[in-house]
Amino acid sequence: MKIYVSGLYSGGNPQPGVGITRSLRQGYPDATLVGVEYSNRSSGIHWPQLDEVWLQRPWDELNLSAHGDAIRALLDGGALWISGSDLESMWLASVFPEGHANLLTPNAAALARITKPQVEAHEGLPVQIPPYIPTDRSDWDLHAFCRKHDWRVWLKGPYYDAVRTRSWDSFEAVRNALAKVWNTERLFLQSHVTGYEESVMLCAYEGELLGCVRMRKREITEEGKTWAGDVSEVDEAFLTPLRRIIHELNWTGGGELEMVRDADGKLWLLEMNPRFPAWVHGATIAGVNLPALLVEGATGVAAQRPEPGRGEFTRVVVEVPVRSEFPLPPLPEHLGGGAGHSLKHPSGLPALAERLHKLNVLDGGDNESSSGGDAPTVPNTMVEDLLAQDFNRIETPAWVFMESTAVDTFKRAAAMAHTLSTNQTRVTNAYSIKTNPDARLIKLALDSGFMAEGISLLELHKALKVGFRPDQLILNGPGKWWPEGMIPKEQIHAVFCDSAPDLKKTVAALKSGELKAKIVGVRIRTPHIPSRFGIALDTPETFKSLVESIATLPEDTGFGVHFHMASSNIGVKAWWRLFDSMLRWCQSLERLTGRTIEVLDIGGGWFPDDWHNVDHSDFAKAVKRAQAALPNVGQIISEPGKAMAQPTMALAMRVLETQEEDGEITEAVVDASIAELPMYFHYPHRVLTQDRGGDWKTLKRGKSQLMGRLCMEHDVVAANIELPEGTRAGDVLVFCDAGGYDRSMSYVFGRG
Amino acid sequence: MYLAEVETRAVQATEVPEVTSCTAKWDSWPASTISHHGQACCEIAREWMLANDFSQLGDAAALTGPRWLPKKYPWGPSPWPMHWCEAVGRKKLDCGAHQAISQELFTARGVQSRPAQFVQQFSEDATRHWGHKWGEDQVPAGWIDGDVIYHEGCAVTVDGDEVKLWDASAGWWIDPQQSGGYGALLNVRIFDPSAEAPQSLSWGGRQLAVNRWNAV
Ligand SMILES: Cc1ncc(COP(=O)(O)O)c(C=O)c1O
Ligand SMILES: [Zn+2]
Ligand SMILES: [Zn+2]
Repeated sequence: MKIYVSGLYSGGNPQPGVGITRSLRQGYPDATLVGVEYSNRSSGIHWPQLDEVWLQRPWDELNLSAHGDAIRALLDGGALWISGSDLESMWLASVFPEGHANLLTPNAAALARITKPQVEAHEGLPVQIPPYIPTDRSDWDLHAFCRKHDWRVWLKGPYYDAVRTRSWDSFEAVRNALAKVWNTERLFLQSHVTGYEESVMLCAYEGELLGCVRMRKREITEEGKTWAGDVSEVDEAFLTPLRRIIHELNWTGGGELEMVRDADGKLWLLEMNPRFPAWVHGATIAGVNLPALLVEGATGVAAQRPEPGRGEFTRVVVEVPVRSEFPLPPLPEHLGGGAGHSLKHPSGLPALAERLHKLNVLDGGDNESSSGGDAPTVPNTMVEDLLAQDFNRIETPAWVFMESTAVDTFKRAAAMAHTLSTNQTRVTNAYSIKTNPDARLIKLALDSGFMAEGISLLELHKALKVGFRPDQLILNGPGKWWPEGMIPKEQIHAVFCDSAPDLKKTVAALKSGELKAKIVGVRIRTPHIPSRFGIALDTPETFKSLVESIATLPEDTGFGVHFHMASSNIGVKAWWRLFDSMLRWCQSLERLTGRTIEVLDIGGGWFPDDWHNVDHSDFAKAVKRAQAALPNVGQIISEPGKAMAQPTMALAMRVLETQEEDGEITEAVVDASIAELPMYFHYPHRVLTQDRGGDWKTLKRGKSQLMGRLCMEHDVVAANIELPEGTRAGDVLVFCDAGGYDRSMSYVFGRG
Repeated sequence: MYLAEVETRAVQATEVPEVTSCTAKWDSWPASTISHHGQACCEIAREWMLANDFSQLGDAAALTGPRWLPKKYPWGPSPWPMHWCEAVGRKKLDCGAHQAISQELFTARGVQSRPAQFVQQFSEDATRHWGHKWGEDQVPAGWIDGDVIYHEGCAVTVDGDEVKLWDASAGWWIDPQQSGGYGALLNVRIFDPSAEAPQSLSWGGRQLAVNRWNAV
C-alpha cells in the first residue's frame, strides 16, 4: 500500500501532513508513506516516518496540467492521496470532477457548500454562524458593522488568515494586505464570539461517515492554534445531523468543523475545513485513528487499532535530522534591513489561489466583476444641499454648509427627545459646542430646544452670545474654569466635576457665591474603560473617597451624575452596557451617600447614523431602566456633538493633477488635505462628484489614491477610490461627513 | 469514535486515590464567609465589589466566572476572620475569601451559587512551598495535608440541579472529566443549609450528594 500525504508545513500554524503521516504509520506499519510538498522549506519533509518525499516546485512554478497528469498516474497505479491543504483539495476537485476511488479528498460540489463564512452545509447541526458582512459592501456599511459589533470583529481571508481589527485604520491596513496576498476583494468581517474553542474532526468515504471525534482546545498559541487538547466522543445531537450532511455532500476525506462554545453552552461554527486538522494525531493518541480509518474505508484493508489513550494530548517541539537529499536552503537575504525570518507560505499557496482564480476554480482575482463593492448611499438632503451650491464660484478647498441636512438633523433629534420624555423624566439634548462651534449650528440647537454644553468658559460665552440663557448651559470637562474670571454671574443649569480636586474647587466656588448652578454633579469613569476623564471607580479607595466627597456638596444644589464614552469607538452594544453599568454605580452612590440623583447626563459620542437610527424602543426602555434604578431622576441629558454636526458640513476640493497607468487613473492630487480632514483615519467619508449630466454620485472603492496637497507622506485623503472616467484637473470632489471634528480640529498648514 | 463498530469500549476503572483521612481532617470546616461590621466601612466595600463585578462582566453571559477577582487580588495567605472593609484593602486573598466573595457576585447577578469545598491532589513539593509561604505570613496552613490540600470554590447552577464548579482562585471551571494526577479533584462537598436543598446536584453527568463529601 502506498499513500501520498501532502501539506507538510510544520511551523507555528502547521498543516496536518506530519500528523496524518504519524497516524497512518500507527495504523499501517508496513505501508509506504510518501510526503508531498511544494517547498523544501516545509520542515515536515524531514519527518523520519516518511519513506519517500515527492518534492514539487512551488505552485507558481508548477505546470498544473502536468502535475495533474502525474497524480492521475499515481492514483491509477493504486496509490492513495490524502491532501493536507485546502487549496490543493480545491484544485484536485477540479482536476477530478468525477472523483477517483483513490483520491481521498472532497468533491467540488461539497467544497462549494462549505464555503466560508456561511458554510451552507451546516443546516441541521446544533450550531449558529456568527454575524458577518462581506467586504464588497461600501466602507460606510463596513464601518457600521464594526460599530454594531463593538469593534470585536475579525477580518478573514477567503481560505486562510483571520486578523482582529480593532479600529478603522487597522481594518484598512489589514484589508489591503489580505486582498493583496490572496488577490481578491472577497474577504469578510465576522463578529467575535467569546468562548472556548472546540472542533469536530471526521472522516468519510463516498458519503459514509466512518468516524469522528470532538476535541476541546486546552492550550492555545498566540495565533489561536491548538497546542494541547482533550478528545472525546461526539454526542448524538451532533452526530445524527452530521451523518446526514456527510451523506448529502457525498463527502470523501478528512474534515474539521471549527467552533466556539459560549458561556451559555451554545456552539458557533467558524468554518468547516476540507481536510484533517493539524492536531489529527492527538486523536490517534487518544485511541481514534481517523486517517487509518479513512484508508480502511477506501481499501478494505484493516488497519491496526491504536491503544486506547487517556484522551488528552499536547505538543512539544522536536528537532529531527534533515534528510541528506534535501539539504536546508539558505535563509533569504534581509529585505531592506528588516529582520530575516522564514516565509509564511513557502510553497506559494497565494500563487496557487491566483492561478485558481484565473482557471475559475475559485471566485475572485482580477476578473472580479465589481471589485469596488457597493457605492454608499447618502440622504436626499445632502444631494439637495449640493445642488444648491454653485461650485464654479467656490474657491477650494471649501467647507460647504449643508443647510437642509442640518435643519433635518436637529429636527430629528428634537423629535426624539420629545418622544422619549415622560411625565416623570424629561429627556433633553445639549449641543456639544466643541464638536463644531459654528454659530449656525449653535443657533439651530437653540431653536430646536437644546441646551448647550461647553468645556470652557469661552464656549459658554459663545452660547450666551448666540442667544442661550444661562440656565440652559452645562459646564463639563477637565479645564472648565478656563479662562479665569469668566464664570457667568447668573445661575447656570449644571456643572459636572471631572476629578476630586475639581469637586473641591467647585464646592468652594459654590460656597463663596462665585458660582451658581442648579445641579452639581460628578463625571464618573466606570471600571474596565480606558479613559483619562472622570473620577475613576476602579479601586475601592477611589470609590470610598468619592462617596465621602459627595457628602461635602451643598444640600441646596441638586445632585447629578455624568458619564461620556464615545460609542463610535467602543461600539453600540458596549455603550448600552456602559449605560447600565453607570446606573448600577449610581444606585450604589445613592445608597451610600444618601443623596438622590436628579440629573443623569449620558454624554455624547454617537456616530450620526447610530444616533439617528437608534431604536426608539431601545432608548425608551433605557429611560425606563433609569427611572426604575433611580426614581428621582427628573432629567436625562444627552450631549450629541458629532451626531449633529458631522453630516452638516462637507469639504469641497478640486483635482490638481492626475496620473495614469494603462489608461486608469492611479493617483490624483487634490487641493485639500488631511489638514482639513483630520478624521480621515478614523472613519470613512462618503465622497461625491457631479457627473457630466449634473447629477451627484457617490464614489465606490477603486484603484486610485487621492493625495492631499501637503508635502507630507501620510497626506492621503482616500487610499482606494474609483474616480469617474475622464476625471481631470479642475474637477470638484466633495467629501461629506466632515462637519464634526474634521471641521473643528482642522488646522492651517502649508498656506504660507 | 469508530462508527462502524458498535464498540463498547470497556470503561477503564480509574484508581480511586486514598482520601479517607483527608476528608476527615476537614470534615468540621465550614465554608468561609466574609463578616460585616454593620457600618459604612463594610457597606462601601461590598457595594464596590458588586458594582465592579457588573462593570467587569460587560455584555458577557451571567454564567461567566468573575476572573477579575483573583486578577485584582491574587491568591495568597489571608488572616481570618475577615471583614469586607479588610478584604478590599488586601493585596492577596485566599480561596476562602475568593469563594465567599464570588458567591455574593453570582448571587447579585441573579445566578444561584453554593459554597463548595474541594480536596485536591498535588505533590509534596508543591505543598512544602505553600507551607513556607503561609508560614512567612504567620497564617496557619491547616489546609495542607501531605500532598493533598483543602480548597474552596463555588457550585454554580447552570440549569435546575445541574451545576458547574468554579475555582474562584484559579479563575477556571473545574473539568468534570477527572482522571487523577497533579491538580486532580479528589473530593467535593457542596453546602446548602436551606430547607429546600436538593438531595444531590448533577455535575458533568455525575451526581454529587449535597452537604457531604463525595469522592470524585
Ligand atoms: C462630556 C462630553 N459631552 C459630549 C461630547 C461630544 O461628543 P461627540 O462630538 O463625539 O458626540 C464630548 C466629547 O468628547 C464630551 O467629552
Ligand atoms: Zn468594616
Ligand atoms: Zn485553596
